[in-house]
Amino acid sequence: MRAKTIIKGRYILIFCAVVVALLLPLVLQSNQYVMVLMTTVLLYAVLASAWNIIGGMAGQLDLAAAAYLGLGAFTTGTLLIRWNITPWIGMFVGGLVSVVLAMLIGFPLFGFKIKELWYALSSSAMVVVLQSVFMMWRSVGGATERYLPAGLSTWFSMRFDTYTPYYYIMFVILMIVLFVNWRIRYSKLGYSLLALGEDEDAVEVLGVNSQASKLKALVIYAFICGVVGGVYTCLYGYMHPSFFDTSMSMEIAILGIVGGMGFIYGPALAAIIMVSFREYLRANLGGQMAGLYLAVYAVILILMALFQPRGFAPLLERGIKRARTYFTELRHGRPADVKSQ
Amino acid sequence: MDVQPMLKVNNLTKKFGNLVAVSHASFEVCQGEIIGLIGPNGAGKTTLFNAITGLYKPEEGTVIFKDKDITGWLPHNVCKLGMSRTFQVTRAFVHMTVEDTVRVGAYNRRSDKNAQEKVDQVVKLCELTDIRSKVCGDLGLAQLRKVELARALATEPEMLLLDEAGAGLNAIELAVFMDLIKKLNREDLITFCVVEHVMQMVMGLCHRIVVLESGTVIATGTPSQISSDPKVIEAYLGKRAVAC
Repeated sequence: MRAKTIIKGRYILIFCAVVVALLLPLVLQSNQYVMVLMTTVLLYAVLASAWNIIGGMAGQLDLAAAAYLGLGAFTTGTLLIRWNITPWIGMFVGGLVSVVLAMLIGFPLFGFKIKELWYALSSSAMVVVLQSVFMMWRSVGGATERYLPAGLSTWFSMRFDTYTPYYYIMFVILMIVLFVNWRIRYSKLGYSLLALGEDEDAVEVLGVNSQASKLKALVIYAFICGVVGGVYTCLYGYMHPSFFDTSMSMEIAILGIVGGMGFIYGPALAAIIMVSFREYLRANLGGQMAGLYLAVYAVILILMALFQPRGFAPLLERGIKRARTYFTELRHGRPADVKSQ
Repeated sequence: MDVQPMLKVNNLTKKFGNLVAVSHASFEVCQGEIIGLIGPNGAGKTTLFNAITGLYKPEEGTVIFKDKDITGWLPHNVCKLGMSRTFQVTRAFVHMTVEDTVRVGAYNRRSDKNAQEKVDQVVKLCELTDIRSKVCGDLGLAQLRKVELARALATEPEMLLLDEAGAGLNAIELAVFMDLIKKLNREDLITFCVVEHVMQMVMGLCHRIVVLESGTVIATGTPSQISSDPKVIEAYLGKRAVAC
């Protein structure tokens, strides 16, 4: 009985959040600056949630999100510019190209059980390598931006006059990614990944193929990043090797960690809080001193690591619990009062 | 009764650089047996276990399990064939609950649909019902040993290797643990191979004992044969002890 009301309460909360997110653009549509910010927040929420599969569950400190994202962006953009293929198809092709790269890098890394710092460095290096490759690869990239066909506002080329459609596209992707997270978490793969994050040898003798499990996680993560890359390039209207951005990869990993490892909604929550906060700081402090907003942002992250190392999600869980006991007490009186009667 | 060997270790050698941890070790384990593997510290017992279960690749020799040559197989394939193990230092999944830990093992032979059934069964068998939703990081040593046994049992093995499963347990916990192993051996027909320092457990549990010293097998026999074998006494207590 009690458990049922708790679950019901959680569904109501999720439902409210979804409704608010869907209605927000209607209120804020007049301010396109806010719309692009909210779309960016959702973009980071998607990427951090995807990272949760390889980083939060499998415990691999992956810093290559921008590699997969950039590859998806360049694939989608090139398909549109060269062969006039719609980004709606291009983004999935981009996802598949990212998957190929993920397999190439993941197979040897997981075969040799590369972990922690060494995995982080290897994956991070990939971003840098790809950036150089696309800088020199004249027929696709090059040092100047390549613009997508401009001036058109069409569904075919995923180009719109306002940011509102991008907001909804990102929102739908976020919902799908959260659903995928949830399905994986409570499946054989999810339990195996969680255990692999703790002790690899001990999991292998229980019949889990560590290489295959991690490769699956990496492939799903890379596919999501690649698809999002397709939307990313249409959102900004151009593509450039600077899309292969190490600091962005780092930030996605940070959001995944700060959100609360092992909580499905944690990384998305962290993205919503931290990215909004960062943009707020940028808008208000950016004019005063260059880079000041990043310094403040860093201080907040350090404080977070010191006082709430398990992340935002446990903090929220505690808050919900406290609110629940408060309301039940309000309705039924304190447990002590009940006893005295 | 005709019993054929389930596990045959032939001439197994494992080196770490110049250090020979296990040298030309051979022994057999028959179906339905509980066999004890004993020896002084550093004799190579755990290394031998690691080489059998696939965590190490041996330099020489073969491991035959259920008539299949499993030398150099990866651990998860060895487990699929029917052999699992526990570890000397408990290697719990500290952020996972007891139930989830057992579930990882249960997926070895089961799908999402019928894994829960196995989890419930093993949790009940190992008397973990009270702590099933506790996080492993909060448990004491005796409970962790049980959880480790439980997750290995959930893989539905035909043979289990226990690496010092009795270490650090008090007399009562040890007795409970021994009863559980005997029961599993009798009722579920699981073959056991145990590495153990606690002599009370070795003598009371094992049908046969293999003694390892400096990586070589120096004696094999029943507990009473072993306890009177001069070579074994020498290995444990030194030459003077034999002379007395």
